[in-house]
Amino acid sequence: MRPGRDRRCARPPLSQIEDEDEDEHDSLRPGFEDEDEDDSLCRAGEDDSLRRGFEDEDEDEDDSTGPNCPMNTSHASALRAFARNLQWVLTLRLAVQMATVWFFAWGVVILALRIFGVQNLYWLTMGLLAVAPLAALAAWRARQQRASLTKIRASYDHLNACGGIIMSAETQDMGAWMAQLPGVAVPRPRWHSGRPLLLLSTSAAFVLITLLLPSRFTHFPGRHLEIGQIVGQLQAEVKLLAQEKIIDAKKATEVKKQLSQLQDDSLGYDPSKTWEALDHIKQSDSDAAQQAAQEALNKTTSMTEAETLAKALEQASDSGMSDATASQAAQDLASMLDAAKLDNGLLNVQIPPKLLAGLTGLNKEQMEKLLQNLEANKGLLSMDMSNLANLKMIDPATLANLQIEGVCNNPNALADYLCTCTNCDKAMICMYCNHPKGGLARGGPGAPMTWSDGASEKDLKFQEHALPPSPHLSQALLIGVAKTAPQLSGSDVLSQHGALDNTAAGGGGANAQVILPEQRQAVQNYFKRDN
Amino acid sequence: MPETILKPDELQPVTELARKTLEQLDRILLGRRELHRLVLIGILSRGHILLEGLPGLGKTALVRTVGQILKLEFKRIQFTPDLMPGDVLGSHILQETSSGKRELVFQPGPVFTNILLADEINRASPKTQSAMLETMQENSVTLLGTTRDLPQPFFVLASQNPIELEGTYPLPEAQLDRFLFRLMFDNVDVDVLNQIISERRRGELPAPTWQMERAQLQILFDTMGKIYLPGPVSHYIARLVSATHPGAVEATGPVNSYVSYGASPRAAIAIAEAARAHALVAGRPSVGFEDVKTVAPPVLNHRLILNYQARFDRMTPSKLVTELLTQLDETGLNLPKDVELSSVP
Repeated sequence: MRPGRDRRCARPPLSQIEDEDEDEHDSLRPGFEDEDEDDSLCRAGEDDSLRRGFEDEDEDEDDSTGPNCPMNTSHASALRAFARNLQWVLTLRLAVQMATVWFFAWGVVILALRIFGVQNLYWLTMGLLAVAPLAALAAWRARQQRASLTKIRASYDHLNACGGIIMSAETQDMGAWMAQLPGVAVPRPRWHSGRPLLLLSTSAAFVLITLLLPSRFTHFPGRHLEIGQIVGQLQAEVKLLAQEKIIDAKKATEVKKQLSQLQDDSLGYDPSKTWEALDHIKQSDSDAAQQAAQEALNKTTSMTEAETLAKALEQASDSGMSDATASQAAQDLASMLDAAKLDNGLLNVQIPPKLLAGLTGLNKEQMEKLLQNLEANKGLLSMDMSNLANLKMIDPATLANLQIEGVCNNPNALADYLCTCTNCDKAMICMYCNHPKGGLARGGPGAPMTWSDGASEKDLKFQEHALPPSPHLSQALLIGVAKTAPQLSGSDVLSQHGALDNTAAGGGGANAQVILPEQRQAVQNYFKRDN
Repeated sequence: MPETILKPDELQPVTELARKTLEQLDRILLGRRELHRLVLIGILSRGHILLEGLPGLGKTALVRTVGQILKLEFKRIQFTPDLMPGDVLGSHILQETSSGKRELVFQPGPVFTNILLADEINRASPKTQSAMLETMQENSVTLLGTTRDLPQPFFVLASQNPIELEGTYPLPEAQLDRFLFRLMFDNVDVDVLNQIISERRRGELPAPTWQMERAQLQILFDTMGKIYLPGPVSHYIARLVSATHPGAVEATGPVNSYVSYGASPRAAIAIAEAARAHALVAGRPSVGFEDVKTVAPPVLNHRLILNYQARFDRMTPSKLVTELLTQLDETGLNLPKDVELSSVP
């Protein structure tokens, strides 16, 4: 009977080999062992260094060192390779498991952080750094859980159908039998990694999704207050106010910053503070705009009046105005411009100082320049106010007033006055300049009296109307008829004046009262007598 | 545990003896190579074997042939319900000596042999069964205070008929445990039957062309003690026997569901011995996992006590043992379920 020996890589168990070649006694033939040594099929490299490395690895186990020297180098290296491969597969498997669990946990943490407001992706991706420590942990854990070399040797023996010889080599000298072993083949550990890798891919995808999810999906509905439109509108207002220099740039920057902060921090469950802040900013902008509008109106009025006077001066000088009148008028013009304080306030109106300084001695050309300057400044103010009106920061009526305030209906009258008066009254000049108009629409109580123009009833709030007639007697409801006229004694309470006042018994009076249904009972009680 | 491993030149002649024995058995009795191997293993393990099969399948012929080949004395007892213990063990008979005295002389029973075929052992009364089973365990007979050793080697090959169970006394499980193997005799296939009909007139068996001498048999027995049992294999045997008990750590689902009582430590000893014999027959100096998996079913299939649920579900001990051998990891690596080892490079 021939001992177990097979030159093929896939070998049958040794117990079946005895059925083959029953007449051969190969083990007794000389050179049998030499034949096996020459067999290179399925043999791993024979390397003394690997054998030494294998022996060094097994320092803690009493197997391959010492005088027994149980295994040849090829089986020793194959066993070592098998142990290494198995350890690698188990480590990889454990690492995939740990990575899967880590990715799922990390994804949940990312999701929770983003829901609670952390949006910084840099910090959220810090979990990637844990992959390397995880791999090291998996390797360490796998090493802790690795099977003993005895079990690995037993598995190698079983898988290669060595019939216990490899196992026996751990404690016994099996040198004579090693040559009869089947060819060396390193058992291959196979890991069915489909499902674990699928789970790993799913977990990695989960992490990516939580990182790349848009912010609107990571906030609870209703938590964030949507005020983007309002903030945009207010920011436009602030920007315009800064452009118009109604508010300074520093304050505008602060307000814009405040609006951005409001937009980021506003929360749906407590909107009152947000609305309050927005209202405050809105009110501030509105107040600034109103103040600017009022100032613009005043300055436009002043400039219009000055313009009117300047034009009248120009016209009067051509018509033979006296020098004294011209001088007086010029002084009045200067004082008018000075009193307007055009260069003060939110909206600065720039008039060349030379023109202002030489107002008393302006020639026609200089007067023209002054008029142009006034016109240009009025235009600038009007444009500013138009911009404010476009953003609905001021009433369109205010904008309309800019066009009509200070306009003189009859500038020729002023010029005539200047030409004819010898000692011109400043008040009269101002009156001419302050839009003298006729009728009820002529300016209210300050308008001068005229006896020629009739007053229009247009826009009158009080008008005489005829009162409605009293109801017809036929529509009266007769409640009762007293037999006698009511008489009062001293102890009787005088009847109160009221609805039945002047009502005569049995007949109608001048003022017949209509008794309402709810009053009927009271009236009946009134007519009850204890007779 | 042997101190040194058998060398190839030491083991080869012994293996050759076993091979020749099997060759003779296979030549004389056709169609049951695996059964002949197991019988030889049982004999080498010094164990008793329970043969179960229908009448006419060659149980008696097998035992007789084994006795012829091994040159061992063979006796047969046909167990009947009226068989008494004295009929098996022997009895004292009052005899008159030449001097005229009368004395009791012990007449040994058929048990005083090397190979005893106890035919239809389940037909005898429990008293007779227990008397014989006691001798199987003790290898001696004690009557009237005198202990007489049985011849060595001593083997009992008992047979049971799986049908005609009326009026029989099935062996209790505690006594079944004394048998090393329970081997099932199945019907031979058509080709073998045709060969028997063609070559054997009236079923007469050819004589063996080779017989083993007593010294050779003794060498076989001595070599059995030198077969090495590696630690992992020994551990595997222990885990296997332990896993037959419901509630054990490595007990499988069917074991937990259908087994009332598992195998005893005697089963583990039996597996170890039988595995050694199997390795010797295979020509190896050490026991491997394959040897254990080959001998485990006949060792365990009569030692598991099943519950009523197993009867309802038609679960047999053989199926349970086969399932257990498939599920239990031999090497104890305890690899995860999604990692498997392949021997193909």
